[in-house]
Amino acid sequence: MSEGAPARSAVRAVAPELQQEIEGFLYAEAELLDERRFEEWLKLLADDIHYFMPVRTNRLPKDQHLETRPVQEGGHFDDDKATLRIRVRKLGIEQSWSEYPASRTRHMVTNVRVRQTERDGEYEVRSYFHFYRSRHERQVDHLIGGREDLLRRTNNAYGFEIARRTIHLDQALILTAGITNFL
Amino acid sequence: MASETIGGEGARGGLGAAELRTLVDVEEGTMAARIYSDPQIYELEMERIFGRAWLFLAHESQIPNYGDFVVAYMGEDPVMVIRQRDGSVLALLNQCRHHGNLLCRADAGNARSFRCSYHGWCYDAAGRLVQVPHEKDGYLEELEKEKWGLVRVPRVERYKGLLFGSWDVNAPSLTDYLGDATYYLDAFFDRTEAGTEVVALQRWTVHANWKWQAEQHASDMYHASNSHVSAMMASFMPEDATTPPPYERFLDFAPDGYQYASPLGHGAGFFVGGGTPGGAGGGGGGMMQPEVTREYVQRTSPDKARTRLGEFRADQVGLMHMTVFPNLSFVRPVNYMRLWHPRGPNETEVWNFVVVDRDAPQDVKDGWVRGATRTFSSAGILEQDDVDNMAMCQRGVRGFMSRKTRLNVQMGRGHRKPHPELPGVVSNVFSEEAARRFYGRWQEMLLEGQA
Repeated sequence: MSEGAPARSAVRAVAPELQQEIEGFLYAEAELLDERRFEEWLKLLADDIHYFMPVRTNRLPKDQHLETRPVQEGGHFDDDKATLRIRVRKLGIEQSWSEYPASRTRHMVTNVRVRQTERDGEYEVRSYFHFYRSRHERQVDHLIGGREDLLRRTNNAYGFEIARRTIHLDQALILTAGITNFL
Repeated sequence: MASETIGGEGARGGLGAAELRTLVDVEEGTMAARIYSDPQIYELEMERIFGRAWLFLAHESQIPNYGDFVVAYMGEDPVMVIRQRDGSVLALLNQCRHHGNLLCRADAGNARSFRCSYHGWCYDAAGRLVQVPHEKDGYLEELEKEKWGLVRVPRVERYKGLLFGSWDVNAPSLTDYLGDATYYLDAFFDRTEAGTEVVALQRWTVHANWKWQAEQHASDMYHASNSHVSAMMASFMPEDATTPPPYERFLDFAPDGYQYASPLGHGAGFFVGGGTPGGAGGGGGGMMQPEVTREYVQRTSPDKARTRLGEFRADQVGLMHMTVFPNLSFVRPVNYMRLWHPRGPNETEVWNFVVVDRDAPQDVKDGWVRGATRTFSSAGILEQDDVDNMAMCQRGVRGFMSRKTRLNVQMGRGHRKPHPELPGVVSNVFSEEAARRFYGRWQEMLLEGQA
């Protein structure tokens, strides 16, 4: 490889139409969450979804590869479709105290990178998120991180379903008063 | 109502014994709201409780080999817990003796030495100062290195895999400190010959004083039916049901229940019976837990535990909460173990370990972690409501008048419900006897340090 040439293979570049379509999907998803249309959001999730937010740790330089912990060591989320449905159901119940009163939220999604997998209509999508939550009077939470999604083209109104989501929240110690929203 | 003086706070340069005695009235079942928010009381806690009590440091399984270490906290003091060459364990203050720099910045790892990032003082795994840059041309070989080793936690003892430390050289032995709480601890940690291991550690913050949830885990089955009504409805109610049954009915999955309280400040509460071996209240504890783990908890685990714990503890005792004074808590069969690390009067750092039977099959262990994560991590459908309620409690004790009020732990005052099997002060599962004992011990320790 000649000096200074861009490492094209490292850039997740797909056709602009596809890029736009997938970004549009992620924005639509964010809108459903921020408008608290959780039942509709559930329909975007594949029946075999794994929704996972691993634990992050502080490590010695030689152990840097151990910084993100595997699923066997739990996480902050480790859900399947059935347990996500329970979470959505809980949010719909008035006495869900940590969302009483309900949060005002914004899911900002940026840095979207798409790669086609070996399967037709299946994409690995990486993105960054900045989640803002305002609740009651003074409670303000910011959660920032990256997501790795596996999207499948599907015949729903949104064009895709989420088959896997791994959320890398960039905190080893969660600093907010709990996590009560989806990321 | 006991009278209270507020105006003199700080002005007299410290809290006197008479004032400390007003903070908690064990007989009446009341405490001053300010115990949760007064910075002066907080400083006393650091000195007289966290500076003296036996505090949980680590589980043996976290540091199996020579040089393995984890960091831990004793109150706000960072310590390193390190496995030594001879298999023993040392706990060392995580502070370079030169200029106080935090020596170890990793949560866990393996190291034979620790080098300070500031001037490069270097300590071995036993905390001895072994290397100092410019020792010849700066210190002219006059630095007495043997006097500048890391500060050791003078007492480290263990109980069934749990390592505890105390700064108090005159502290009673750990087993004396635990007293009859060991009967209940064994229901977590001595179910099989193989013992337990830690498989997960999740950490989060609660914007509230450390005592709220330490007391809650000692004494508070009461809150569950109201605090966690939405989680229970979402998990247990038929899909088409829209109206919840009365709150009180949510905890009806067991016919009976008891609470244990100790004058040493420990407490536990649990359901008994219910027809499912090991499963009384297991429904509640096993929410969102994969079937393979639930099956293990309800069948395999009691079978293994029966010879060690007896039929009653193995078969009858189900969902159980517990606190070992001051800041170590448990809930089984969710199988989390918690530390409530104080971070100022208004903030707590929660360290949530998931503990499993070491000899359980891998899929059972994985399910245990998964169930605990879904219910009792910071995003867990039960924990999220606790974290929120605690923050709201803290808001409730900040103002001038709201700090002056007395709060109430009077449930079941003067009533006992003895059981032939159960040691300690035993009452109904819905009681605040253990809360009264918790705050009683808390006050006693503050007074013991009073000149």
